[in-house]
Amino acid sequence: MAVLEVRALSHSYGAKTQLQVRAVNNVSLRVEAGELLGVIGHTGSGKSTLIQHFNGLLTPSAGEVLLDGENIFKDKQTTHAARFRVGLCFQYPEYQLFEETVYKDIAFGPRNMKLADDEIDRRVRKAAQFVGLPDALLNKSPFDLSGGEKRRAAIAGVMAMEPEILVLDEPTAGLDPKGRDTILNLVENYRKETGSTVILVSHSMEDIARLATKALVMNRGEAALFGTVDEVFSQGEKLVSMGLDVPAVTRIFLSLHARGVPVRTDVYTTEQATAEYLRLLGKGARV
Amino acid sequence: MIRDITIGQYLSGTSFMHKLDARVKIVCTFAYIITIFLCKNFWSLGLMVAFAALMTLLSRVPVRMLLRSLRPVAFILLFTAVLNLFYTKTGNVLFQWKFLMLTDKGLFTAIFMAVRILSLVSVSALLTYTTTPTALTDGIEKLLSPLKLIKVPVHSLAMMMTLALRFIPTLIEEIDRIMSAQKARGADLETGGFIQRAKALLPILIPLFVSAFRRAYELAFAMECRCYRGGEGRTRMKQMKLGVRDAVTAVAFVALIAGVVLLSRFFPAVI
Repeated sequence: MAVLEVRALSHSYGAKTQLQVRAVNNVSLRVEAGELLGVIGHTGSGKSTLIQHFNGLLTPSAGEVLLDGENIFKDKQTTHAARFRVGLCFQYPEYQLFEETVYKDIAFGPRNMKLADDEIDRRVRKAAQFVGLPDALLNKSPFDLSGGEKRRAAIAGVMAMEPEILVLDEPTAGLDPKGRDTILNLVENYRKETGSTVILVSHSMEDIARLATKALVMNRGEAALFGTVDEVFSQGEKLVSMGLDVPAVTRIFLSLHARGVPVRTDVYTTEQATAEYLRLLGKGARV
Repeated sequence: MIRDITIGQYLSGTSFMHKLDARVKIVCTFAYIITIFLCKNFWSLGLMVAFAALMTLLSRVPVRMLLRSLRPVAFILLFTAVLNLFYTKTGNVLFQWKFLMLTDKGLFTAIFMAVRILSLVSVSALLTYTTTPTALTDGIEKLLSPLKLIKVPVHSLAMMMTLALRFIPTLIEEIDRIMSAQKARGADLETGGFIQRAKALLPILIPLFVSAFRRAYELAFAMECRCYRGGEGRTRMKQMKLGVRDAVTAVAFVALIAGVVLLSRFFPAVI
């Protein structure tokens, strides 16, 4: 059974005024346990609004969100419980740090779950280990950390709640390539080790291509494409028409195809590109 | 709830009120507020209300927007009205039930207080609805400029006000974002007693202050990079000029004040 299912979800801001904006329009999707769903879309495509429904922060104007088959907006308790079952880490999460020490800040979520002290301690240390924060940093003030460390501490704060689904909104925004790789690797390791479901919002197609098992493309509040990564990336032209940046290799193969070279256009990783190139060479085609 | 705050909101437009000089509008608003407290009978009060209605008409601000600015004061309004209604013990008794006593004077006082607060708030709202924050602070700076003679840092004060107004929406957005982030970590902002709720605000206030200071530093750097050195020798792109419109308004206001004074003299005070 799908761990998360969204049925015909719509959300409007400023309802009943002239300024009404339909941020999310009739979106449906299913995520199976242990998958990594990549959500791609432009700024203002409704990605952030959509994911805030997964843990009940926003209430949909229409439609429902099911966790393990149960509608989270059924009653108040269920909605509140969804906050801990779906860990949501916002964009630039380092701006939510507030405690005196990194340790206390990571413990904020577990403490709100009213867990026992030794359980909190176990979770904080485990989360810190996942994001690669050494013990020496745990007793420092979060404001003394470097930018990348702050980001990782904030992500650990969400991981420490040990949610069934971890939702990360642009976790690599504003980081240098090295910091970006660190974050993406730790997300991948976290998923492999804990077996939890991860939803990753990003506008980097390369990141999604590398990590995701399924992809959702949002365009003007609607789910333009949803399916396995292969299915979504095989529609390179459609992605380009939505103004999305497809991986560089896909772009090359799309333009080769446009020039009449008989190549596949559903290539999105370097490995696939190499294989396709070798296939062409074998056939003796002029590239 | 945070989005309901309309203080300092500006509605763009090209009406008579929008085109008035900010200085004239500020002075007139103050004059209006003082005059409304001089009204002691229904004739003068009626004249003031009619004038406020005329200004609203000239501003083309939708009545709905004006009513929205009154929402935050609704409680104060009700509170003062009820208090005045039953605490005035002079005048003719209209109604009595146990310790509750209602006199005609109490009734009038309640009406007067309510109308005064209503017109006071709506006229000030009209000022901010029709004046851009920049024009408003420029106006204040010009009006206060004589104080420079006694070494009051008028320019800095005006600049501070402009910046403060500019950052209200930014900080509201920031609060929204931080609140969502902490709620996602299970922060409980709605339940618990007073102390508990105050404590629950810390995870929001600390990041808010941190980011406010960060923004302040960034802004200060940006201003210095553009060679901002305070008001000394600074010229303006938009010069403020008084026109016929402003003269008409000033005359109308003098007439209004004279009218109120005369009406107060010829008709007996009811409160």
